Amino acid sequence: MIQIQDLRKRYGRMEALKGLTLELEKGTVFGFVGPNGAGKSTTMSILATLLAPTSGKAYVGGYEVTKHPREVRKLIGYMPDFFGVYDNLTAEEYLEFYAANYDIPAARRKVIIPQLLELVNLNHKRDAYVDSLSRGMKQRLGLARCLVHDPEVLILDEPASGLDPRARIELREILKELRNMGKTILISSHILPELAEMCDVIGVIEEGKLVAFGRVDEIYTKMREKRVIRIRLLDRLEETIAFLREQPSVSSVSREGNGVAVGFSGDDEQQVELLRNLAAAGFSVASFSEEKGDLEEIFLEITKGVGS
Amino acid sequence: MNGFMNLLKRLNNPVLFNEWKMRMRNGRTPWILFAYLVVLGAVTLLYIFLETDGGSYYSPYQTRDMFITLSILQLGMIFFVVPGLTAGVISGERERQTLNILLTTNIGPTRLVVGKWLASLSFMTFLIVSTIPLYAIVFLYGGVSPVQVVKVFGFYLVTMFGIGSVGVLFSTLLRRTGIATVLCYAVFFCYTVGTTILGEIVRELLYYYQRVNNLPRMRAEWLNIFNDINPLFALMNLFGEGPVRSVSPGAANQSWLAQIDPYWVYNACFGLVTVICLLLAVYLIQPVRPSLFKRGAGER
Repeated sequence: MIQIQDLRKRYGRMEALKGLTLELEKGTVFGFVGPNGAGKSTTMSILATLLAPTSGKAYVGGYEVTKHPREVRKLIGYMPDFFGVYDNLTAEEYLEFYAANYDIPAARRKVIIPQLLELVNLNHKRDAYVDSLSRGMKQRLGLARCLVHDPEVLILDEPASGLDPRARIELREILKELRNMGKTILISSHILPELAEMCDVIGVIEEGKLVAFGRVDEIYTKMREKRVIRIRLLDRLEETIAFLREQPSVSSVSREGNGVAVGFSGDDEQQVELLRNLAAAGFSVASFSEEKGDLEEIFLEITKGVGS
Repeated sequence: MNGFMNLLKRLNNPVLFNEWKMRMRNGRTPWILFAYLVVLGAVTLLYIFLETDGGSYYSPYQTRDMFITLSILQLGMIFFVVPGLTAGVISGERERQTLNILLTTNIGPTRLVVGKWLASLSFMTFLIVSTIPLYAIVFLYGGVSPVQVVKVFGFYLVTMFGIGSVGVLFSTLLRRTGIATVLCYAVFFCYTVGTTILGEIVRELLYYYQRVNNLPRMRAEWLNIFNDINPLFALMNLFGEGPVRSVSPGAANQSWLAQIDPYWVYNACFGLVTVICLLLAVYLIQPVRPSLFKRGAGER
């Protein structure tokens, strides 16, 4: 559905995109992660027909974005990172205006607008002026606006930025619903865990290059395999470390104050076995807790070499 | 009939309808209307008061003068209000961060620019129409022909189209509404004053050349075009006032240029400005502009 081939964008001396290549299949929810200025918004603007690349090609639904912008616009719903609204319009009129801009007949608009307001939980704000809505509500209204022409692809640039936790959860639920509707979604954020929960595929972009690309389920499998156990001891620290190093399911041991951090590659039963062995050997275990692996660290580790 | 239906279809412009709706909901709109009528009404009533010495006899000749005064004042108001209305139509969308969203819809650059332009001009037309009761005072006493009235309103319309299109072009070119508005006022001031001064400078240089080279002194009729395209002189010319040029169709001693009614020269000039500015705005507003000179094969 989306193909990007050796995409480059230069602003004077600054190169925002350095040969980005990417391919997404229909129905994929792709999370685009990277720090500010990494090139996420530039890529999205090119896909949304708002920016011409310096070189390279980008296709949406088989259409080259610079040569067939009209066809591409019919296929996409674009939500920029910052967008304004018309203050003198109600939520319903706002959607009505954009639906008319997509040449949707008036009779059809009357049917789809209440449905869209319901989808984004803004039915009760139908007659409220847009400027009276909270940031989270405006963001949801923006999402409804992207959907007025029922596009196959959604390009959402940092939709969760600036939202409070409750608004983030609401947005995430709507995105899950859209995923179930079979939409291809390209969503950006600079926080990986935020995207991992709702995406099928994640790509990390840094300084205009794709440095990592992989499926989210692979990351979670890896995370289950690689857990960290923190053990706090009352005494005999050095002896405990030596003991742990002899255990087959322990991959690494490092000292942390009066405790140790254990890299553990076994399953739950082996974890119970380890605790039992420590107690049997007479070590004074004050606490024994499992910690999930660092998502970003694991992701970068399993996708090492991508884009280089 | 088909052409009319096509026109109606083209006018079915969501941007235009949306602008009308928002304009009428804006709290400033009634105040703008109020201020506009107060200025024109006050001047008209003051004029009547002064001409009649406090309200006695009033002749049709004085009504004609009042009509001219009112028309010039209206022209001044158009030059004052239209840049303010149009110079922010595109840059305002950019400042509000709504332009990019609009550009990703099916609306297209032509419908967007024309919709914004027509919306601003229709508000100006609304202001002018609201002053018709003031003109009714003139009609009550007579002294002005209906053709003159129609011509004056046609003149306003063409002038508005021209100024409005320049405003829209500046609004597309410049990111800030404030700068676009100031530049628009500056350009029209320079245009109005400049066309007159430039015409006279060129005329004097021509006479100087004829004197130095001992050539017979010939009137350069083509230089009158500077007066013809000057909004103030063009309006005055409608009443046979100002640096008026007599038109004698078919006169053997006049060039073809001198035989064209200055009213139509002005309309043609402003019509051309309108078309050029709107086409430029439509081209420039596109985020990814098609090359004007290179035509590539379609790719899918």
